[in-house]
Amino acid sequence: MGKQDAGFAAPVRLCVFAATLLGVFLTGGTERTWIIAAMLFLILMAQKAWKQCAGFAVFYGILSLLLYLIRFHGLRMAVFSEFHVFLFWWMTPVFMAAWNLVSTPPGELSAFFARVHAPTGAILGMLVIFRFFPTMRAELRGLRESMHNRGLTGPAQVLRHPGNTFEYILVPMLLRCLQISDQLAVSAAARGIDTPGPRHSYYERKLRARDILAAALYAGGILAFLLTGGIK
Amino acid sequence: MIELENVSFAYVGEKPCVRGVNLKAAEGECVVLIGRSGNGKTTLTRLINGLAPYYYEGTLGGTVRLGGTDLAVMPQWERAKRVGCVFQDPKSQFFSGELTGEVAFACENLGFSVREIRTRTDGMIRAMGLGGLRGTPLDRLSSGEKQKVAIASVRAAGPRIFTFDEPTANLDEESADQLSETLGALKRKGHTLVVAEHRLSWLMEIADRFLYVDDGRIVREFSPRELRALSAGEAAQLGLRRPHETKPPLLPGADYRHGAAVAVRQACCALKGKTIFRDVEFSAFPGEVVAVTGRNGKGKTTLAKILCGLRRESGGSVLFSGEKIPPRKRRERVFYSANDTNTQFFTPSVEEEVLLLLPRREENLERARETLRQLGLFEHRTRHPATLSGGQKQRLSLACAVLSGREILIFDEPTSGLDGGNMKIISGVLGQQAGDGKTVLVITHDPELMEACCTHRFSIGGE
Repeated sequence: MGKQDAGFAAPVRLCVFAATLLGVFLTGGTERTWIIAAMLFLILMAQKAWKQCAGFAVFYGILSLLLYLIRFHGLRMAVFSEFHVFLFWWMTPVFMAAWNLVSTPPGELSAFFARVHAPTGAILGMLVIFRFFPTMRAELRGLRESMHNRGLTGPAQVLRHPGNTFEYILVPMLLRCLQISDQLAVSAAARGIDTPGPRHSYYERKLRARDILAAALYAGGILAFLLTGGIK
Repeated sequence: MIELENVSFAYVGEKPCVRGVNLKAAEGECVVLIGRSGNGKTTLTRLINGLAPYYYEGTLGGTVRLGGTDLAVMPQWERAKRVGCVFQDPKSQFFSGELTGEVAFACENLGFSVREIRTRTDGMIRAMGLGGLRGTPLDRLSSGEKQKVAIASVRAAGPRIFTFDEPTANLDEESADQLSETLGALKRKGHTLVVAEHRLSWLMEIADRFLYVDDGRIVREFSPRELRALSAGEAAQLGLRRPHETKPPLLPGADYRHGAAVAVRQACCALKGKTIFRDVEFSAFPGEVVAVTGRNGKGKTTLAKILCGLRRESGGSVLFSGEKIPPRKRRERVFYSANDTNTQFFTPSVEEEVLLLLPRREENLERARETLRQLGLFEHRTRHPATLSGGQKQRLSLACAVLSGREILIFDEPTSGLDGGNMKIISGVLGQQAGDGKTVLVITHDPELMEACCTHRFSIGGE
């Protein structure tokens, strides 16, 4: 099975994302969300997303270690607060499920939404949002390099003018957000995004047994997690 | 096939930028819109593909017809089926992170069956010779490859008409030649092509007519022969690039020389396990303008980022006046003006941008005024940099470099997508900076720029 075939169908990824949100935000025992993270690692592994799996494992491992040291050994953080460590640890399952959803081929997602009769405007909005984040990541990199180049990131500059530094980042980012959204919307309009009627996808496929099994196991797992751990 | 009858257009709240245009283009015809920047070429392509006024709102006068049907009665998706649009910056039009999804995107939107989508997508990937890129994320492709993907993605849907807006702005000579072949093949298959472009030589074998656009009007029409016959003076007067193929001038090599303002010795760079370049050696002295050339993807921009301390070399040495300097200290000496100007500006006005971090002394203010005047930006000094045109942003970036006071200035493709007039302004400033004792490196594919101001040439990765 190729990597593309190993990926779960769009409805499964949506189901995983929705169930993760419910699990993370409704649970009465936030310290048990590691169970959701473990389930998501299995979901990623089943899709052969090894690189992402490794990346999230390192990220989650470091946060777990820091949290352990904070809780049981009185570690105090110099840069981030203890609250931030906990927040990122708690939200990691959401990041994982979101990554899993965002990495779905956009055509497959839009075809799914068209099948369930979502309005064209909503489909276009979703496609723009999905493409927006990777594009913004590249823009942020460019912005950071420009700031280094212009001498705006030196410690003296940042400490003496923190307000200006914030403005130097925020204003160009907001402007680029607008420009990128506009460019993507133009590109979509020029390629027939508003065509009425059914849409299909290159990657379109019927739900396979493994898709149904994965969705059922994951949803069941989250339900069991909530029932055993209590709901807020 | 395409018919514009007495067409005028004004964007909301602006003066008309297209006035009384009459244009007909038949099947299998290639029409090129030429002329200075900001005179309405891009808007004309938008009128043909329907993005103006249906996306870019404004007031349209006259009639635009495609295949005899008035565009006004055609829904946008129908226009998308008939006209394929390729924009200047392909990466800003990608909707997918990988090749197949991107090529299939328009077919998916247009409601083709799954079988049809797959046949068209796979067929187009084969026809465009892109099969080897299936596993490569789109953001890792070279500029030429990205442009090919952009063309494949609109071509797969089978439009009969194509509009191209500055398609070679970021391409090297070889990629421009490949694009020329692609357009030639489309033309032979009876597609109508409308290209808005400054670089002309790559189009000379394909174009049937060149329409000179000035102040929103088509004021002259040239056949390829007539355009070739223009003298250098006439072309310059019209703000045109040279129509005939210009070979880069023969310049002395910028080999490693001891004691140079900047010298690179046996430098190599690898990113994520992939070698970008190795054993690079060159140098530049004050007063020199060194052209850094090489094909797309050979590491020119990476080298520039190493020199200005944004990246670290993997091996070899980078010396400044014979001295090794750590990357974070290099920024004090080197200013890097990137090709993508979208993330380079931080303040709310042009004048504040050029004075950023400079003490507000009268001498600095006077220098800033003088530089802005020289670059044709003085009248725009109160505008927000984000509202400037592409050419104006390029010139603003140049102004920031000039006023930074750093001794080594690096410019990355400063004339890409610029008309002949702007190219002259930029080459003049680069030459002047070298004359003032600065060391100037310019990454470029532009033989006209090299001829106008470069004193030496260094080619990365060979020719």
